Amino acid sequence: MRGAPKNSSSSPLRVVIAEDSGLLREGLARLLIDAGLCVVAKVGDGPGLIGAVERHSPDVAVVDVRMPPSYRDEGLKAAIEARRRVPNLSVLVLSQYVEERYGTELLESGATGVGYLLKDRVADVSDFVRAVHDIALGSTVLDPEVVDQLLARHRDERLAALTPREREALSLMAEGRSNRAIAKALFVTEGAVEKHVKSIFGKLGLAQTEDDHRRVLAVLTYLHG
Amino acid sequence: MSEPMTGGSNAEPRRGAVGPVHSPFSASLGTSVGFLLLNLPLGIFWFAALVVLILLDIFLAAVWMVVMAVTLAVLWLIRKPKCQTLSRGPTTLIFAPTMSLCTRGAQVERRRVARFLGYAVPSPYRQLPQGSLLARACVRVRDPAVWRDLAYLLLLLPLGAAEFALVIGAFALPLVTIVLPMWLFIAFPDGIPLGQGARIDTPFEALIIAIIALPVSALVGYLLAIGMFKAHAALGHALLWPSKGARLVQRVEELTESRSRAVEAATAERRRIERDLHDGAQQRLVSLAISLGMAKEKMATDPKSARELVEEAHEEAKRTLSEIRDLVRGIHPAILSDRGLDAAISALAVRCPVPVEVTIALDGRLPEPAETTAYFVVAEALANVSKHSKASEAQIVVRREHKPQDRLVIEVVDDGKGGAEPEGGTGLAGLSDRLAALDGRLFVKSPTGGSTQVHAELPLDTFHSIP
Repeated sequence: MRGAPKNSSSSPLRVVIAEDSGLLREGLARLLIDAGLCVVAKVGDGPGLIGAVERHSPDVAVVDVRMPPSYRDEGLKAAIEARRRVPNLSVLVLSQYVEERYGTELLESGATGVGYLLKDRVADVSDFVRAVHDIALGSTVLDPEVVDQLLARHRDERLAALTPREREALSLMAEGRSNRAIAKALFVTEGAVEKHVKSIFGKLGLAQTEDDHRRVLAVLTYLHG
Repeated sequence: MSEPMTGGSNAEPRRGAVGPVHSPFSASLGTSVGFLLLNLPLGIFWFAALVVLILLDIFLAAVWMVVMAVTLAVLWLIRKPKCQTLSRGPTTLIFAPTMSLCTRGAQVERRRVARFLGYAVPSPYRQLPQGSLLARACVRVRDPAVWRDLAYLLLLLPLGAAEFALVIGAFALPLVTIVLPMWLFIAFPDGIPLGQGARIDTPFEALIIAIIALPVSALVGYLLAIGMFKAHAALGHALLWPSKGARLVQRVEELTESRSRAVEAATAERRRIERDLHDGAQQRLVSLAISLGMAKEKMATDPKSARELVEEAHEEAKRTLSEIRDLVRGIHPAILSDRGLDAAISALAVRCPVPVEVTIALDGRLPEPAETTAYFVVAEALANVSKHSKASEAQIVVRREHKPQDRLVIEVVDDGKGGAEPEGGTGLAGLSDRLAALDGRLFVKSPTGGSTQVHAELPLDTFHSIP
């Protein structure tokens, strides 16, 4: 299983779940416990989330965007507020719809240990658990749909100069994937991915970096700007 | 309300054309003068034509009265007094052609005045009933708007004459100022006495006086021309524009019509949602339940096919989720209520397969019905762009205008092959109804082979009061 816990040797990741629908809250908890994580608190609204993260300082909080009282973007606001109060808190925001605007707002609250995924992605259990792990360890994970929106918004000459393969690699990089994961997704060797990445950074005029995470940030900053 | 939506290459709405927008204060001297000078010939024409026609009508009516009086006398003598009503109809019919000509003339004037004012010109007339010529003629003749038309057209002659004289005078004034000193020199060879011993006795002094007087007389002439134009516009407004009563009657008609169409549109929308849910998500969930049910049965006996069934069900569930998401977004996008029109339209543009340039000039959030309607105008227009237009790019402009009315203007333009049919396509027709419910209007210009322009206007002051 790809989603095997990376830190299985140490204590399991501690998770807070904020989701107003009881059915989904229990479902998420069961799924994460099943995958070997420790769910330390389950809450149903924004203030509950902030209280829980302050009390438990979890490794990661999984938060639904829509929560009471107005069922708009309380979850997003609460997640940003929670990150302000508990520095280095990793947050995965789940939503029925992903909007590039929300992703951007979330990234602006600090781009390490942030995830923004469509709720549907929970159905692909192993990928979802892997994403929770990556985010807890400080990675950035963006939904492919957000990346598509970012790419669509950012139609410029430099992006147009990329080959279709390089574009695919760029999308996967923006989603927060490592070279190995990109190689696997594109059915090529890691060496080939490295070559693509080098070419992409050259064409976009970005500084080369070995660090996966800094690389994501460079790409996102480029797409965002 | 008349159908404001038009198709083909004609972007003019049937009622209330909006001309180039400039206020009477910005009317240039040239246009004002042109307008004022033209009033005299038009006034002569209308006065002559109408006076002749009215005299003719009166003569005919008098003849008819005499004929009727004789007939009635005869009928009364043979004791059949019921035919009295006969007399009124034909009298009305005699006046009808004159009245009709009168309204035509007034329409021309209305457009002429409106072009200089930059207003939308509402039609002031009562709605003509379906039915006989006589019934329609009766409504026409009793419509006060027609009588005010007549008054305006007859007044055009004295007014036009006065304006003509004044304009000529206004132009002559600076000319006279220049020529006057020379003439005075000829008339007073010894110099011009100014009183108290002062005299103008050199050409240089006369020239200085002329130079000082020229701007003053030019300014007076300019103010005269502009002032006349404004006075004329005020008269036009008093006589050609609908009276308050007529405006209210028209407003009630519009509201009744747009209300019934809004109800229809809402019903159609509910039917569509019901159909989408029934044909889509509900069927998928049934198939999902079947797959899971079968998997449960086979779990013990045939784990391999049970696993396949579960995988199938998993895929089906994900497809259902995605379908419901699209459906829900189509009903009301969450980002619109959360972040407003700017964010929601940007999100729409990003999802459009055709590159879209978005320009949004809004100061803050708008009332929710306005935001929703504007959003769906853009959504529908972009859906057309990506489905039918074969365009390579599109532009969206959304801006709030405060003059001549507080309103939201939405424009979606593509460089595609045109041919969008507002009457045929349910999408654009639905938009028109949606806009009409909020007093908005939709204009679609889509010539075959050319760029399609969707232009919608949505008044924002209606959210506070009735105009």
